[in-house]
Amino acid sequence: MNKKVFEGIKVAEFAWVVVGPSTSRYLADHGATVVKIESHKRLDTNRINGPFVGGVPTPDGSMFYGKHNPNKYCISIDLQHPNGRELARKMIAWADIVTESFSPGTMEKWGLGYEDARKIKPDIIYFSSSMQGRGGPHSSYAGYGQNAVNFSGFSEVSGWPDRLPSPPYGAYTDYVSCRFAAFALMAALEYRRRTGKGQYIEQSQFESSLQFFAPPVMDYQINGRIMGRNGNRYPLAAPHGVFQCQGDDRWIALAVMNEDQWQSFCRAIGKPELAVDKDFATFADRKRNEDALEKIISAWTIKYSVEEAEAILQKAGIPSNVVEKPSDLYKDPQLQHRKYFVPMDHAVMGKQKYEHQACFILSKTPRELYMPSPCIGEHNEYVFKELLKMSDEEIAEHLIDGSITSEFTGSMTSSF
Amino acid sequence: MSTINEEKSALSHVRILDLTEGGCMLGGKLFSDMGADVIKIEPPGGSPSRIPPYYKEIEDPQKSIFWFAYNTNKRGITLNLRTPEGQELFKKLAKTADVILESFGVGYMDSLGLGYKEISKIKPNIIYASITPFGQSGPKAGYKASDLTLWASGGFLNDCGDPDRAPVWIGFGPQASFFGGAEAAIGAMTALWYRSRTGEGQFIDVSIQESTMSSNMNVLPMWDVNGVEFKRVGAVSFVAATRVRQPIYFKCKDGLVMILALGGNDPYASSSERLVQWMKDEGMCPDWLAKLNWWKDYNAAVLKQDLADKVGQAIEAFTMTKTKAELYEIGAFGKYKQILVAPVSNTRDISEDIQLKARQFWVNLPHPELNDSLPYCGPYIRMSETPITLRKRAPLTGEDNRKIYLGELGLSDASLKALQDKGVI
Repeated sequence: MNKKVFEGIKVAEFAWVVVGPSTSRYLADHGATVVKIESHKRLDTNRINGPFVGGVPTPDGSMFYGKHNPNKYCISIDLQHPNGRELARKMIAWADIVTESFSPGTMEKWGLGYEDARKIKPDIIYFSSSMQGRGGPHSSYAGYGQNAVNFSGFSEVSGWPDRLPSPPYGAYTDYVSCRFAAFALMAALEYRRRTGKGQYIEQSQFESSLQFFAPPVMDYQINGRIMGRNGNRYPLAAPHGVFQCQGDDRWIALAVMNEDQWQSFCRAIGKPELAVDKDFATFADRKRNEDALEKIISAWTIKYSVEEAEAILQKAGIPSNVVEKPSDLYKDPQLQHRKYFVPMDHAVMGKQKYEHQACFILSKTPRELYMPSPCIGEHNEYVFKELLKMSDEEIAEHLIDGSITSEFTGSMTSSF
Repeated sequence: MSTINEEKSALSHVRILDLTEGGCMLGGKLFSDMGADVIKIEPPGGSPSRIPPYYKEIEDPQKSIFWFAYNTNKRGITLNLRTPEGQELFKKLAKTADVILESFGVGYMDSLGLGYKEISKIKPNIIYASITPFGQSGPKAGYKASDLTLWASGGFLNDCGDPDRAPVWIGFGPQASFFGGAEAAIGAMTALWYRSRTGEGQFIDVSIQESTMSSNMNVLPMWDVNGVEFKRVGAVSFVAATRVRQPIYFKCKDGLVMILALGGNDPYASSSERLVQWMKDEGMCPDWLAKLNWWKDYNAAVLKQDLADKVGQAIEAFTMTKTKAELYEIGAFGKYKQILVAPVSNTRDISEDIQLKARQFWVNLPHPELNDSLPYCGPYIRMSETPITLRKRAPLTGEDNRKIYLGELGLSDASLKALQDKGVI
């Protein structure tokens, strides 16, 4: 049995919702000990929003929360309470890495900011993530990835030229941002290993997300071109699109990337004459007549089930794929082969399928999901006694004064 | 052009050989911007990733803005891996490297005798990351794929678009490959940490299909937990349980804004109340809306479609009297502070954004051969001890051939010339 990669690395996670929790999963899924610091008085937004097992909202019943938090422990403390903040300081003293994603200034107000943390733990690596970063006129901006997907440019360029944008679903930029953060945390660990120094890592999710959108922005700044919308078309390929097949809302994505593939495509759809047709023979012809070309392809795809169309095109060597629905993904043989979904037994939700966060498999130390997402406060005893070595009396005092929270009395009313 | 301060660099001791193409080149950039020595290897004649847009619209591979964006701080050499001499040179380079990143098809590097198995014989602690559409093995490992088809394979394509038309991708296309490149970089960092503890290298098998999947947010468990098969909803917020479509995108004078005009719980309900207050102050709030209880009457459990539509129309009548900038500045930062509003920005809006300017995000890098200096996206994250710095523009094809082949591998001028004549370099 190989050692776990990040065995011994300790993360105190004050961060919530998506970016911070997704970031720490890269460490947790390779062996780090991650403790989430939550409160019954202010539930993680993901605990309030479903899907809920059984359809009834409860703080421990959301697989939206579940998805972002397997392999982690959870304690419940009230950071508004001075004795809760005392516990938070103990967690910082215990940790190698602190993550937080409150509005800028909140942790500082509580005496838990980076400058406070390094007094407690001089080599701490402290990660703050916010929508638009520290400093500047928009630093206080509060929101979600759902907001950032718009001001980062992704919405404007997505959809049809004759309509308003079709923005990317949900909190897309959160899933972009967490990648940069995970890489940076590991680089900071490496720097600390070599020098003994910790540091402060500060993320503007806006700035991280723009890395996935840099060429269009540079194109404006250099050439003055404002990027618009063009459906599923791509300047360097034709045909390139999503076409309807038989069945209920079934679609296939296909892309003909070069001339060889075009020849093969024409034969595969039973129209070898297209390859020499003056309207479609060359790439330039196909671009010029793309509307007509797409009509011809639609007339072909609609005769087949989406699986048949994919099989015919793959056999011909054409990049193509069923537009997979959630129900397809859970039975996708490739995902099964790589064991992407891992069933685990959750105390309240029962057996649930968790997704890997790391999308890579290391040959000697493969990713591992071994513990379901935590119920709120589930590991209070373990963390306070075993990790922080607190006595039963001390713990009891925190329970009595309410700085360890144990009861949820708020509203589980969902907003979406 | 500044040089790197090794004291202040997290990864200056790490060398990467970068054989990736397209969006996967982002993986090498994560390393090079963090201070690692990344050598980008192109085939003689130049990489196929030198694609549009082009500097001043001049169709020249050396003027590819796409290439510029994802190869900052890298050095560049040419090498023909399909020749025996090229393969020998690659092995010599591999002996000096810590990490190899590549995005060729499954088995291609093996077929050249340059796969992990061969390289680990001559450099046992090498970390070798292969990015492929579906991973190294399994029923779809041999599938032909592109960014669009991979977007379909991970489910996110199904989530996006208007319900009455085809699902639609993100208009700037290489998103799937960006995720693949980023995952390879994180995987390689993970393996570097393991190597620092054990001395051992390993192979990293990245699947782009998987890399696109976390973006599905709550859509997958909606099916698995509640049996709700999500269908794209366009520019609205969708209540899975009741299928009510809540309007959150509103036209304004000069474009479109998103306002998360939702209720039920905070921060949404309070934000919506502040919006209603603003509408009242401007005399644009119908009485029924002023009386609406955003907690009780507008929560997901009880909300009906006709009320959602009515609220949406009232809000849009108000937003149509304002610009994007007014709604954003006043709504999010001004008098009505922290209304959950975001402008739908285009590439000009982003370029003029006052927050990015205040944080000095844009960095100009000199391009001496263009006699110009070009604006780049700045650091992807800010680090206090080891700041990410943009030091140097992307390499021209073969720009560092002499420095690396002569200076570091010890080739003679004559043999470099001979290899160039034979098309190896």
